[in-house]
Formats: sequence, structure tokens, C-alpha cells
Amino acid sequence: MTGIWYVVGLAFAGVSFVFLVIALAWLISHRNRGDRHKGMPYESGIDTFGDTWGRFGISFYVYALLFVAFDVEVVFLYLWAIVFRDLLVGGLVSMGTFVLVLMLGLAYAWRKGVLTWR
Amino acid sequence: MTSASPRRPDVRGLINASIRFAKTFPREFWGRLSVPERVAFLLVPLAMGAAIVTVIAIFWLGGPVVDFLGANLPLVRFAVAGTAILLLTVPTAFVLIYLELKVIARMNLRVGPNRVGPWGAAMSVIHGLKVLTKEDFAPTGADITIFTLAPVVTYMASVMTLLVIPFAPGLIGQDLNVGLLYFFAMGGLTVVGLLMAGWSSFNKYSLLGGLRSAAQIISYEIPLTLSVVGVILLAGTMSMNRIVLAQSGSAFDWFVFKQPLAWIIFFIAATAEANRTPFDMTEADSEIVAGFATEYSGMRFGFFFFAEYVNVFIVSALAATLFFGGWTAPFNWPWTYNLNWFHPLEMGFGPWLAIVAFVLVVAPQILGILVMLFGRGWTYVQASVLGALFTLVAVVGLVALAGFIAFDWVQGLFWFMFKTYVFVVTFVWMRATLPRVRVDQLMGFAWKWLLPASLVNLFVTATAVVLLNR
Repeated sequence: MTGIWYVVGLAFAGVSFVFLVIALAWLISHRNRGDRHKGMPYESGIDTFGDTWGRFGISFYVYALLFVAFDVEVVFLYLWAIVFRDLLVGGLVSMGTFVLVLMLGLAYAWRKGVLTWR
Repeated sequence: MTSASPRRPDVRGLINASIRFAKTFPREFWGRLSVPERVAFLLVPLAMGAAIVTVIAIFWLGGPVVDFLGANLPLVRFAVAGTAILLLTVPTAFVLIYLELKVIARMNLRVGPNRVGPWGAAMSVIHGLKVLTKEDFAPTGADITIFTLAPVVTYMASVMTLLVIPFAPGLIGQDLNVGLLYFFAMGGLTVVGLLMAGWSSFNKYSLLGGLRSAAQIISYEIPLTLSVVGVILLAGTMSMNRIVLAQSGSAFDWFVFKQPLAWIIFFIAATAEANRTPFDMTEADSEIVAGFATEYSGMRFGFFFFAEYVNVFIVSALAATLFFGGWTAPFNWPWTYNLNWFHPLEMGFGPWLAIVAFVLVVAPQILGILVMLFGRGWTYVQASVLGALFTLVAVVGLVALAGFIAFDWVQGLFWFMFKTYVFVVTFVWMRATLPRVRVDQLMGFAWKWLLPASLVNLFVTATAVVLLNR
């Protein structure tokens, strides 16, 4: 169980490292307030208009859904791959069925044209 | 008419000359040195003093300190491993940035950086210092908390994966039994950092760039993780160390020969994961300015930059570990070398004195004379400094060679770094050669080609295991 403490400790050390360096840069870098135009978001030189945090394409959402389905599948596959030498034909058949169902989902998405970027 | 008679020594004149010499010599000497020589002249005595103080302190305080460290060995190991991993990232990123500038320049028939340091080698250090001193600016309306946390998350996602990479036998942060799963879990956190950066910047380019690179990375994450399942099947474990051990032997035991399709899929998907050309949608500067990093500046941008180059190193290291045998040598190391005759405690005083005298006095003089003979315009001081440097390099090289022969971890580190940097240079080469793909081709390729291909590879491998092992 020392592994988990390594992970936690390294995360803590790394975060403090990054924050220390950013704080150091904040201390030694120059700053000035500038005028109103300094804080404006960059839009190739023209003043910004419209809502920045507005709508964007739904296709991102569909990709995220597909990603979740297949990433969970990958977690199962990893564990299955470790114990595969004890399962052999049974493991092959059961995992084949599982992946087949998922691939039907992918085929449906493909047929619906979700995988084509628009 | 001379002031001094030839018979009597002119004591006063001699004293005056000495005083004049003592007054003028330091300034002349100082003026004759170049800047690096001045730095060395100041730092070397300081370093020697620090070494002497350290030795005295160890003798004086050594007992209690050693007792304390011995009582807390796991803590010490963690401290050493964590520090090494965190400090490893900085020189790695510097070396990679310089390598990229120089190699691409040579491929474009340019010279590349050649002003700062020898062959421009200090260029990336100067870049780092510049980024450190730049104004760290956030636009009005940005979500400052998330804006600051985004580079932290991105950088952490890179650094955490270094924990399970086996650099050499015994030289691994922590050999987790779910090593590979941990690697992909932590590597996947990069997406969160990019999304945070894109969202919090209050900029349309940033938002689109962040979402686009998130879509790209999650799409290529699937083939990347699936292509590795074949390797896990063959090795029967997720521990990185044992995956390397499963490939030990000769080069024909490497998984790249048992899983060629998986290797191709892995390499393409890894290129996309590290945001390298031809898949550098993230920073497509001709399309969306600089993607999620548009509004970033100063050190917060610097950490994105760092993370990107550390990612290149990590992906190359993973490729070397999973498919090319990690730290194992590509052939059976034919002989081991016995260094017992060179045991430092049983050598006696005479040989020690001879070695020290040779290294400190004789070798620098010989090399310095060679420099003066074959070089032009070297002064004696410069020649002996050069001679001492050459001697130092030669001694360090000899010791490294001895270590390479004697210790398996030095060999392992050598092979690991060699393989890793082969892939790093391949990535740089690809950037110099290939154009960027279109975003619709990119997404379609991941889902319609790589994903089915990796599943086919997986089941072919599983069937082969069933048929061949029983």
C-alpha cells in the first residue's frame, strides 16, 4: 500500500512546485495595469462582441459520450487481459460478446453520421 | 643613465615593480578572462569551500543524521524519488526544446540557434528565464481561479505519469501493480487541464481550441489504450517493470515483433495524444491563433509549454518501454567485467598518490601543452584550464565507462535513454516533414480506422494465446 502514498505525495509535491515557481515569477516579473484595452480578450485586433461562453457544436458532446462508453470498456479489458490465461476460450467468448454489443453501438453512431465531423 | 648599478641589486626598484605588478595584475588578469571564465573563477573556490564545509559537517553531524535517515528509509526513498522526478522535467524540457530547434533547422538547411552558449546550447535556458520574468497576465472577465489551476493540472498530469516509468533496473518511482492503467488515468487528466484553460480564458479562440483539442485527445485515447491490451495479454501484468522483464533477452523478444499492428496504432495515437504534428490541432496557429493558450503569458504559459515537451518525452519513454524492451539491451551483453582489482580501499597509499598527482597535475599539463602546440593564440593559462577540462571529461568518461560495464542500472539507463531519444528525434523529424491534417479527417480516422483495427488486433492476439499456449 505504499504506492498510493507515493501518488498522493508526488501530487502534493508537484502542485507546490508549480505554485512556488508561479509565485516566484509573480515576484520577479514586472506588472502594470495598462488601460481598458489591455484586458480585452484577443480577437485578431477587433473589439470583442457577443457572448464568449455561449453555444458551441453538439458534436463535442456526442464524442464525449462515445468516449465514456469505450473508456469504461477499456478498464474491463485491462483486467480481463491480466487473467486471460486462466479463462482462455470462455474468456474469449464472453469478452467477444461484450465488445460486439459495444461495436453495435459504434455501428449505429457511424450509420447516424455522428462520426463525421461537421 | 640607469638608476641601478649592475653590481648591487636594486631592492627599491624591485619592491616598486612588485607593488605595481600586484596593483595591475588582477585587473589585467580579470580583463583577459571571458565571461564564462570569470564565472568559473568565482564559482570554483566557492564550490570547493562548500565541499569542504559539507565534509566537515558530515563528519561532525553524520552519526545522528544517518541514524535518522536509516530509521525512516521509506520516507527517504520517497523524498529522493519525488525530487528526482520533479527536477527531471526541467532539463528534459530544455534539452527537447533545443533539440527540436536545432534538428528542424538542420532539416530546413538552416543553422538554428548558434548565439547563446556553444552551438546555441543555452538557448532554451534563456527561453526559460525569459518566460520566468515576463508579465503574467490574465484578461478581464477571465475566471482567475480556474485560469491559474489549468496549467497546474496539465503539468501535474504529465509529471504524475513519470512515477511508473522504469528508467533502469531498480530505478523506478514506484512499481505499481496497476502501472499501465495508472499511466493512462493520469495522462487522461491533461484533457481536464486543456478544457479548464479554454473555458476560463474568456476568449472564443481559447474556448474553441480547448474543446477541439479535448475532442481530439479523448478520441485518440481509445485506440491508444486499446492497442496496449495486446501487450498486457502477452505479459500477463500491468506492472511496467514486469512488462519490461517479459521482453528481456534479445531484440526479437520485444513486443513490437509480436504486436506490429498494435505498435503502428500506438504510435499514431501517441502522436495525437502528445499534440505533435501532424495532429497538432491544439496549437494550430494558422487556424485558431494558439488554441487554448491564446490568453496565457508568463510562467502560466511556461508550464503548458513544459508539459507539452515532457509529454513528448513520456510518450517516447512509454513506446520504448512497452514495445522496445525498455531498459533491456537489444542483444545479450556478452561479458561482465570484474573491477575488484581496482578496489579503492585496498590499493594502498602509493598508487592513490600517483593517480591523484596524474589527474591533477600531469594530465592537464600534457593536454595543455598539446593545446598550445596544435592550437593558435592560446595563452598558457587558457591552455592549462582547457587541459584540466579535458582531463575532467576524460576521467568522468572513464568512470562512466567503468560504471556502464560494472553496474546494470547504468547500462539500463543508457539503453532506455537511447531508445527514448530515438523516438523523440522521430517526433521532431515528423514535425519537420509532415503537414497538419484536417480536423474532420483527424476525428474520422480515430473512430473509423484505428478503433476497429485495435479491436481486431486484440482478438487476434487473444486467439493466438489460446491456440499456441495450450
